Amino acid sequence: MTELPLHSFALDKNPQGISHQIVQFSHFVRAKGMKVGVQETSHAVEIAQLGLIKTPNTFKNALSAVFCHCREDKALFHQLFDEFWLKQDDGKRKGQMKMHVERITKSANQRTSIMMMGRQKNDSQSNELKDSQTTSGASLTNRLRRTDLSKMTEVDEELLEELAEKLWKQMNLRLSRRRKNSHKPELLNLRQTIRQNVGNGGEMIYLSFKKKKKRKPRLLVLLDVSGSMDKYSLFLLRFIYALRENFAQLEAFLFSTQMVHITDLVKQKITPKDLKALSIRANAWASGTKIGNCFKDFNENYAPRTLNNNTLVLILSDGLDTGAPEVLNAELKKIARKARKLIWLNPLKGMQGYEPTTRGMQAAMPHIDVFQSAHSLDSLLALEQYLQDV
Amino acid sequence: MEEVVVNDIQEVIQGFEQNGYIIDEELATIVFLLLKMRKPLLIEGNTGVGKTELANQLAAFLDTELIRLQCYEGLDVNAALYEWNYQKQLLAIKIQENSDKSESEKEKHIFGPEFLMERPLLKSIQAKDKAPVLLIDEIDRSDEEFEAFLLELLSAFQITVPELGTVKAQHIPYVILTSNRTRELGDALKRRCLYYWIDYPTLEKEVQIVHKRIPGIEQTLAQQVVGFVHEIRELKLNKTPGVAETLDWVMGLQALGKQSLDEEGVQRTMGCVLKSTEDMDLVKNEGIQKLIPNDV
Repeated sequence: MTELPLHSFALDKNPQGISHQIVQFSHFVRAKGMKVGVQETSHAVEIAQLGLIKTPNTFKNALSAVFCHCREDKALFHQLFDEFWLKQDDGKRKGQMKMHVERITKSANQRTSIMMMGRQKNDSQSNELKDSQTTSGASLTNRLRRTDLSKMTEVDEELLEELAEKLWKQMNLRLSRRRKNSHKPELLNLRQTIRQNVGNGGEMIYLSFKKKKKRKPRLLVLLDVSGSMDKYSLFLLRFIYALRENFAQLEAFLFSTQMVHITDLVKQKITPKDLKALSIRANAWASGTKIGNCFKDFNENYAPRTLNNNTLVLILSDGLDTGAPEVLNAELKKIARKARKLIWLNPLKGMQGYEPTTRGMQAAMPHIDVFQSAHSLDSLLALEQYLQDV
Repeated sequence: MEEVVVNDIQEVIQGFEQNGYIIDEELATIVFLLLKMRKPLLIEGNTGVGKTELANQLAAFLDTELIRLQCYEGLDVNAALYEWNYQKQLLAIKIQENSDKSESEKEKHIFGPEFLMERPLLKSIQAKDKAPVLLIDEIDRSDEEFEAFLLELLSAFQITVPELGTVKAQHIPYVILTSNRTRELGDALKRRCLYYWIDYPTLEKEVQIVHKRIPGIEQTLAQQVVGFVHEIRELKLNKTPGVAETLDWVMGLQALGKQSLDEEGVQRTMGCVLKSTEDMDLVKNEGIQKLIPNDV
C-alpha cells in the first residue's frame, strides 16, 4: 500500500473537533451512497479514541472495517476517504465540506424522488451511471426486474446481470432447502432398530428409519437462438447457467435451423466473454428458425441419452417457426411423452394482449405443461414455483 | 488465566509473526480493533486465502481455546447451541422407575447439566478462564433464519435454556465469521461486524509465507512455484488454487528432490495444485514452460 502524504492529513486537535469531523465524514460517505448510519459513526469515534488516527493509513484501514460491508464498498471508501481527509487543506475544507455534503445530499434526494415517481428520463449513459450509484437500491432494483430484456441499455444490462446473479443464487438456495410436509410416517427399519438396541436390554431407545431414495431431476434446456430471439438468448443462457447448481444433471442445446449440443460449455464457468465461444459454435445463431426439424434431430440423435422420465424439459423460444407445424407437433409430442414436465418459456408472453396464435405455438400448445413468459428477470424468477415441484 | 493485553498494532504483527503467520498492517489493524472493540469480525474472500487460518492464529496469539462452528445448509439451533441427551435421559428415567423420588425431583434430575450436550455457541459463552475465539465458519452456507438467531446471540452474548435458565457469558468471546460469498449476508449482520475482504496474497507475501511455513526451502523453487501459481490464478480455472495448495505443491516438489521448477516436475506434481482434469488441460494448453517464471 502506498503511504499517504502526512502533511495533508489534517485533523482537529480538539477531541470534540475530531468527533465533529468524523460525523461530517459519515454524512459525506452516506451522501455518496454508502450504507453508513449512527452505529458506524459511533464506532468510528471509538476508533479515534483508541488512538488509531496517528497516520492516515491506519485511520483509513480502521475506518474501512466499520464503514465497508462488502468488497465493492472498499474502492469507493478509499476514494472518499482520500477526497475528504487528504485532498484539501484544513482551513478550506471546514467551510466547503458542509456545503459539499448538503449539495450532494440534496441532489441525491432529488434523484431518488424523481426515480420513485417513475419519471426519470436519462439523457446519457453517464447520468444513468450516476443514478445507479446514488439512488437507493429498492427503486432501481424493481425497475430492472421488470424491464423487458430486449429494451435494456448497456448500463442497465450490467446492473441487471449483477442483480440476476444474486437473485438466482437465492432462488437456488431456496429450491435446495425447501422441504415438503408429509403425512406419511417414515418406514421403520426394524432389523437395524433391534440390532442397535440389544445393548439397552431390548428397550427401543434408538430408532432407525428407512427412507425412499430421492432421485434428483435432470434438466434439459432447449434454447432458441434464432434472429427473433437474439436479444433474449444471451441472458437466458445465463439463466441456464444459474440453474445448473440445482440439478444433478443438466443438458443444454441451442437451436435455430440446427441443433447444437452445448452441455460441455455450459458446465464450465461462463462469462459474457465466453458466450462468444458458444455463438461461434452455434453458427446458426441469429438466423431463421425451424423448430420442428430441430426437435426431430434431437429426438433421433440426442433424446435416448438425455431424456428420461425424470427429466424436466425447459424450452425457451418465441415459437416463431418457419417450418411445417405438423412436424413440430409430432416431435414435441414425443418429447412431452418421455419427459416429466415440459415448460415452455416465451418472451413474447410478457407483451400485453399476447395470445399464442402463431402456427408454431398453436402446434406446440397441446403438449406443454407450463407456458410462461421470459421477458424480464422477474418472469424468470417466477419459474421457481414450477421448478420446486419437480 | 490472564488475558493477553494488546496496546499497539505492532504487537499484533509481531505476535502473529512469531507463530509463523504473515500479517500486513491493514489486517493487523482490523485484528487490533477486534481485540479492543470486541465486535465480531466478518471475513470474506475466495476459498484458500486463509480466512479460517486467521482464527487459528488469533487463538494461538491469545493463547486461548478455539471453538469452531462449521455452518452448513440446514444447520439449526440444536446443532449450534445445545441439545438434550435424549438417550441418556430415557435410561435415567428407566433407572429411577422404582426410586422414591417425586415426579418433580425426577424431572429436575434429567434436565440437569449432565444431560445437556453443549454445542459450540453455548460452549463459547460458558468459557470459565478466559475469552475463547469463536469461529463461525462459512456462515453463507447456513439459512437466513440461523443468521437472524446469530444476530441476537452476538448482541447479547446470553442464551436462555428454558429448563435451566439464562446463561450469560463470563468472558465475551472473540468472534470471527467467515464467508465464501456464495450468498449475500443480511445487512443487519454485516453492520454488527467489522468487515475485511481477504485477497490472495501478493507474490512477495506468498513467498514469505512459503519460507515461514517450509523452512529451508530453496529460494528459486519458492519463487518459481509462487510465480507459477500467480500466473494460473489469472486463468479461468474451476478451482483457483489457494495458499494451502501452494504449500502442498512446494512440499511435493521438495519430496521429489527438486531444487527448481521444470516442465517435468510440474507434470508429475500438478495434482497438488490443480484439482480437476479440465483445469489441468487448461494449464497444459496454456503451455507449462511459458508459465514457469525464468527471471528469479
